[in-house]
Amino acid sequence: MDFYLGLLQIMGVHTLLGLSAYVVLQTGQVSLAQAGFMAIGAYIAAMLTVLSGWPLIAALIAGALVAGLTACLVGFPALRVHGLMLVVATIAFTEIVRLFFFNFDYQIARGSLRVGPLGGEGFRQIRYFPENGWTTLHVAIFIWTVVALVMAALWWMDRSRAGAVLRAVGEDEIAAQSCGINLTAVKVSAMTAGGAIAGLAGGLYAHYTTHIEQSNFTILLATFAIAYPILGGLSSVFGTVAAVIFIQGFLVEGLRFLGDWRNLLFGALIVLVMNIRPSGLLDARTMATLRRLFSRKEH
Amino acid sequence: MTIPRLLAASAFVTTMAISSAMPAAAQEREIRLSGFGAMSGVVRSFGINSKAALEAAADEINKSGGVKLGDGTKGKIVIDYFDDRCNAEEGISVTRRIASTSSLVGIGPTCSNVAEPLFGVLQKKVGDAGDSGLQFPIFTDVAIKGGLAKISEWAFRNVPDEGAMYAALFQWLKKTRPELKTIFGGVEEDFAHSRATWYAVMKEVAAKEGFEIKGEAKWLLADTNFTNQAREARRAAADIVAISAHPFTTCGMLKELGRQGVKPKLVIGLTSSSSLETLQGCAAEAEAIIIPTSFAPVTPEARAAADRAAKFNGSLDLHSGAAYEIVAILKDVIEGEGVLAKSDTVQADRAKIRNGLSKLTETKGLIGISKRTEEGEAVKPFLFVHAKGGKWEVLHNPTK
Repeated sequence: MDFYLGLLQIMGVHTLLGLSAYVVLQTGQVSLAQAGFMAIGAYIAAMLTVLSGWPLIAALIAGALVAGLTACLVGFPALRVHGLMLVVATIAFTEIVRLFFFNFDYQIARGSLRVGPLGGEGFRQIRYFPENGWTTLHVAIFIWTVVALVMAALWWMDRSRAGAVLRAVGEDEIAAQSCGINLTAVKVSAMTAGGAIAGLAGGLYAHYTTHIEQSNFTILLATFAIAYPILGGLSSVFGTVAAVIFIQGFLVEGLRFLGDWRNLLFGALIVLVMNIRPSGLLDARTMATLRRLFSRKEH
Repeated sequence: MTIPRLLAASAFVTTMAISSAMPAAAQEREIRLSGFGAMSGVVRSFGINSKAALEAAADEINKSGGVKLGDGTKGKIVIDYFDDRCNAEEGISVTRRIASTSSLVGIGPTCSNVAEPLFGVLQKKVGDAGDSGLQFPIFTDVAIKGGLAKISEWAFRNVPDEGAMYAALFQWLKKTRPELKTIFGGVEEDFAHSRATWYAVMKEVAAKEGFEIKGEAKWLLADTNFTNQAREARRAAADIVAISAHPFTTCGMLKELGRQGVKPKLVIGLTSSSSLETLQGCAAEAEAIIIPTSFAPVTPEARAAADRAAKFNGSLDLHSGAAYEIVAILKDVIEGEGVLAKSDTVQADRAKIRNGLSKLTETKGLIGISKRTEEGEAVKPFLFVHAKGGKWEVLHNPTK
C-alpha cells in the first residue's frame, strides 16, 4: 500500500508540473522554463522549512510566489520572442537557474550538522514530513488536495472569460489583438500563473524526496512538463492527469519489470499514442462525449 | 492381490511418499533480498555487475545448504533486482515497492544522488515514534559519497572509505615518487560521488601531503568532448593528473590527453574506474593509471567470487565485490539474529536484521577483514592497482 501511496505522491507533483505548462500552452507558447520555476519553488520552500522553521503551507506559498514573480519578470523579455526562439530562451533560463543552484552554498550549523544547500552536492535533510509524523497516506492526501485546488482553479478559469482570452491568444494572436486583447499582459499572466504552479510543485517535490540538487531540474524535466499536457490534450485539465498516469504509472512504474526494454518502449509508446491520439488522450471530442454521457445519466 | 487392493496399496504408498516429502518442502523458506540500482543509462554497468554479484553469492550460499533460520529450518536466498535509472524519485519509489513485498533488505543503490534522498525517507532514529520515516533496512553496495549512512539508522553501507584510500595513496607517492611535486585535477562535476571525491578528498589530501595544486578542469557525466579540459591540463603541465570521473568520461579525457600529447608523469583515477569498463573503453590510454580499490582478485575467495560472478554475466570490481560481500554478511546476521522469514514476521525480521547490522564491528570481506563504524559505514581493506597490458594488476598493498 505504501508503494501505491508513494506513486500517488509522484503523480501528484508531476500533475502540478504538467498543469504549470498547460496554462502557458493555452496561449500557444511553448515554455521549457517550468523546470527552472520548479527548482526555485523547491529551494525556497525547503530553505524556509529547514533553515527558518516555517510551517510547510506558508513555505509552499512563499516558494510559489517567488517562482511566480520570477516567471513574471522572465515573461516580459522572453515573450517578446516567438515559437522556437521562445523555446531556446526558456531552455537558457532553466539552465541559468540550474547553474545558479549548482553554485549556491548557504549552510548554517544545527548542532553538529550543517544544513542548507551545498552547491553541486545538493540540499539534504528536508525531512518536514517524517519529522512531523506525516504518514505516506497523509502526504498523498495533502499533495492531491493541492492538485485538486489547482485543477479546480484552472477548470474554472477554462470556463471563464480569462480562459476564453487565453485560448483566443493561443488560436490566433492577430485576431485576438484586433479584438482589443493585450497580448503581452495575457502571455505574462499565463507565464506567472504557470511559474507559481511549478513553484508549488517544486516545494512539494523537495519535501517528499527529502533531498534536492540541481540535477533534478534539467531540460529533461522541462520536456516532461510540456509533454504531459500535450500528450493528455489541451481541451481540459483532466488530460494532463491522464498523461501523468500514463507516463508515471504505466511507462515508468508499470513497465519497470522489462528492465532495459522499458527505456526503448518508453519513447516508442509515446510516439504510438501521439499517432493514435494526435490531439491528446482526452481531446475535445472525447471530452464532449464524456460530458454527454454524464449529462444523460443525470437525466 | 485384487485390483482394488492393488490400487489401495499404491495410493497408500503414494500418500506416504508425498507426506514424507512435504515437511522437507515446508521447512525450506524463501529469504527475499532485493537489489536496486542503475540498470540503464551511462552507469548501467554498475547495476548489471551488482545484480550478477548478488545472484552469484546467493547461488553459492543456497548450494552450500542455505541459511539457518531462527526456528532451525533452512531458508534459500532469492534475489530480485530493480532498475532505478539513477533517479532519486525512482529510487524512492523502488524502495517503497520493495518494502511492500516480503523482502527483508534492500541492497543498493548505485548512485549517491539516489542514496541521499532515499536515506532521508527512512526513519532517522530507530524507535522514534514521532518520525514516520520508512522502517526498512538498506545496505548499500555502490553509492560511495562519504558519510551518507549517518542520515538514518536504517542505512548501512559496505563501501570503501575514499578519504583513507587517497590519503594512503598520496603518502605512498610522496615516499616512493619524490620527483612528483604538482597535481592537476579533472572532475566530473555533475555526479555527486566524483565531485565530492575531488573537492573533499583528492584535492585536500594531496595539498595536505605537500603536492601543489596547479588547477582543475571540469566536465559533465554525459560529455563527449574534452578538448578544453585537456588543453588546460597541458597548460598546467603538472606531474600528476588526477581524474575524478567514472569510466565513460575517464576514457574520454584520457583519449583527449593522448591526442593532445599531454604526458603527465602519473595519472590517478577514481575508485569507481578501477573496473573492467575502463579497460574495455581505453586500455591503451589508461596504461599505468593508478587507482586505489577495495577489490582485486588477490585471495582465493576473491578469485572464486569473480569466477562465480562471471557465470552470471557480471564482472567483480570494488562495487560489485561489495554486493557479493553483503549477501554473505546478511547470511551471518540472519543466522545470528534468529530471523524466521515467515510471511507474518517480515517487519520483525527487518528490525532484527537492522539490529544485527548495527551490532557488527567487523565483517569478513573478499580481500580481508572490514571494520564497521557506529554510523553504519565500513572501513575496508584496500590496494593500489594499476592498468598494465589491458589488466588491473596490484601495484602495492598498503596493509603489508
